[in-house]
Amino acid sequence: MASEASSSKGEFDIYQTYRKILDDEEMSPPLAAILSLSQLMVESNAGTMFELVKELHDGAEELKRHTTNPISLNAGCELFIAFVTLFPHESDSFAELKTELVKQGQKYAKEAISYRNKIAELMLDFIKDDSVILTHSYSRVVMRALLHAHKTKRISVYVTEARPRGLGVKTHEVLTAVGIPCTVVLDSAVAYVMDKVDFVLVGSEAVVESGGLINAVGSNQMAIIAKAAHKPFYALAESYKFHRLFPLSQYDLPTHNPSILSFPSLPPRPFVTPPTTSGVSPPIAKSGIDESLNVTPTSSSERSMSAEMTAKNPDVDYTRPDLISLVFSDVGILTPEAISQYLVAMFAG
Amino acid sequence: MTYLSPQISHLVAARPMSVTMGNAIRQLKLEISGSDIDLPEQDAKDALCQKIDNYIRDRIIIADQVIEETAGNKIKDGDVILTYARSSVVQKVLLGAHAEGRQFSVIVVDSRPMLEGKRLLSVLASAGIQCTYILLPALGAIITEVTLVLVGAHSIHSNGAVYSRAGTALVAMMAKLHSVPVVVCCETYKYSETVQLDSFTKNELAPQGDLFSSFPSVKARDSLTLENDEHLEILNPLYDLTPPNCITAVVTEVGVIPPNSIGSIPVALGRLL
Repeated sequence: MASEASSSKGEFDIYQTYRKILDDEEMSPPLAAILSLSQLMVESNAGTMFELVKELHDGAEELKRHTTNPISLNAGCELFIAFVTLFPHESDSFAELKTELVKQGQKYAKEAISYRNKIAELMLDFIKDDSVILTHSYSRVVMRALLHAHKTKRISVYVTEARPRGLGVKTHEVLTAVGIPCTVVLDSAVAYVMDKVDFVLVGSEAVVESGGLINAVGSNQMAIIAKAAHKPFYALAESYKFHRLFPLSQYDLPTHNPSILSFPSLPPRPFVTPPTTSGVSPPIAKSGIDESLNVTPTSSSERSMSAEMTAKNPDVDYTRPDLISLVFSDVGILTPEAISQYLVAMFAG
Repeated sequence: MTYLSPQISHLVAARPMSVTMGNAIRQLKLEISGSDIDLPEQDAKDALCQKIDNYIRDRIIIADQVIEETAGNKIKDGDVILTYARSSVVQKVLLGAHAEGRQFSVIVVDSRPMLEGKRLLSVLASAGIQCTYILLPALGAIITEVTLVLVGAHSIHSNGAVYSRAGTALVAMMAKLHSVPVVVCCETYKYSETVQLDSFTKNELAPQGDLFSSFPSVKARDSLTLENDEHLEILNPLYDLTPPNCITAVVTEVGVIPPNSIGSIPVALGRLL
C-alpha cells in the first residue's frame, strides 16, 4: 500500500504540512508534528485501527528523516501515537472514531499553545523583585515566562551566546526590545558570572524518563556550575516534551554518533630535523598536514571554527536529574523524581 | 492457612526469610483468600497451582526476557562491561546481546568467600565473549577502562537502595566516582515497600567452613579457612546496600526507572495486573 507521506506522488505530504505549520513562530516541532499527524489522519484511507497506527508511524518516521535533531519531534509523535492507541473505542464506526481522534488531536494542539502561559504563571512566584536570571540560548517558553514576569517585577537577565548558532543574541534582542536589562555572556564566562546570578532558567528539547534534561549544548555545563555555586537550576518544559528515553550518559543520546568529538586521522608524521629558522610553528612537515586538514592560518585577532570543526560538535546535551532543582510544566511543578512517576502513569499499560 | 505456617517455618529454617520469599508467600496468601468458597477442593487446588505457575512464568521467566532485551539495548559495540559476582539476569543479558552480534568485552569482578564469578566467567567464555577476571581489590586499577556496570540485585527498596551481593556497593561507588553508568537489572518481584538504610539491620551470614569444596573443583585450601575459636568470630555478610545516588538506572520488566522513583513500580504493576 502506497505510503500517504510520499511527496513524489503528489498525495498528502506530511513534511510539507509540517514545515508550513512551523512557519508560525509560536509553534514548536512537537506541536507541529501533532498537527501534521492529525492532518494525516484526516487524509488517511485506513479502514482499521491497525492500519491507521501504521500510517501514523510511517508519517512520524518521514518527519524524523528530515531533521538532524529529532528528539523533541520524537517526543511529540510518540505522545500522539500513544494517545491514539490508548483512546477508548466507544464509537460504532471507524470513520466516527477517526473524526473523534482528529478532533481530539486538534483540540490538544490548541490547548497546548496555552501551556506556555500556564508555565509562565507558575514561574512567577519563584521570581522575586530585582532577580538576576541566567538563561541559555533562545527558548520560547522561557521568553514567555520572562515577559510575563516583567509586567509586575523588576528582573535583569544574562543570556549565553550559545555558539555556534548564536541564538542567545536573539534572546537579547527580544528582551531589550521590551525593556528588560539584558547582557550577552560568553559561553566560557558562565562560571565567571554564576556568583552574580540568583537562579538559572532554561527551556528544553525534552525531559526524559530519568528526570534529566535534553537541551541545547551548554545546558549541562550551566547546571554543573550552578550546582557548584549552590544556585537553583530550573527547567521549563511543556508536558508534550516528556519523553520515554533513558540516556545513561551523554554518549547514550540518540543524537550522538561516532563522528562527534572524534579525532581526525592524520597521515603518519615524517621524521624531520629541528628547524634552523626561528619559526613559531612546530616542526611538522607543513604541506602534509595542511592538505589533509585544510587549515588556513588567519591573521585577524579573532578566529572562528571552520564549518568542518563545528560539525564535530554536539547540538544537544544531557543534564542529569541530580543537577536540576525543579521542572516547571503545565502539569505542575515537578521534582526530577516525579517526572518518572508521571511518565509511568501516562504511558504504562 | 494453618497448613501453610509449618511449611513457611520449614522454608525459613532452611534460609532466612528474604524479600522475594515474602513477596511470593504474600501473593499466594492473597490468591488463597481470594479464591471462590463454593469451588470443589480439587478445582481450587488446581486453580492455585495454576496461579503459582503463572507467577513464576510472568514475574520471573518472562520478566527476565523483557529485562534481557531492554538492558541488551543499552549495550553498544565496543563497550567494556563490568559485572560483579554472578547474577543470572545479567548473565542472560550478556549472552543475549552477544547472540545478537554486539561486540563487547566483559570484566568479571569476584570476591571471597563465594567466588561466584568463576561460574559466570566459564559460561561467558564458553559462549565466546572476551572476558577478564579480577578480584575486588583490583577494581581501582581497571575502572577507567569500563564503559558500563551491569549488576543484579537480591532486592530493591522503596527508597531506591539496592540490596545485593556483598561488594556490589563498592563497585557502584567506584563507578560513580569515575562517571561510569551503573545499571541494576531487577525483576519487580524483588521490590520491597520497606526502606533500607544500611546493611547492618538486615543481612545474612555465609555458612562456616571450607566453601571451596562446592564449586569449582579446587584443592581444599585448609590454610586459608579460618575457624571460630574463643578469641575469633568470623563474619561473612552475604549482602550489602548500594545507596540510590550511586545507581544510574534500574531495568525492570515494567520499564527503565531512575532509582529515586522506584516507588512508581506498584503504579506500573497496577496497570498490568
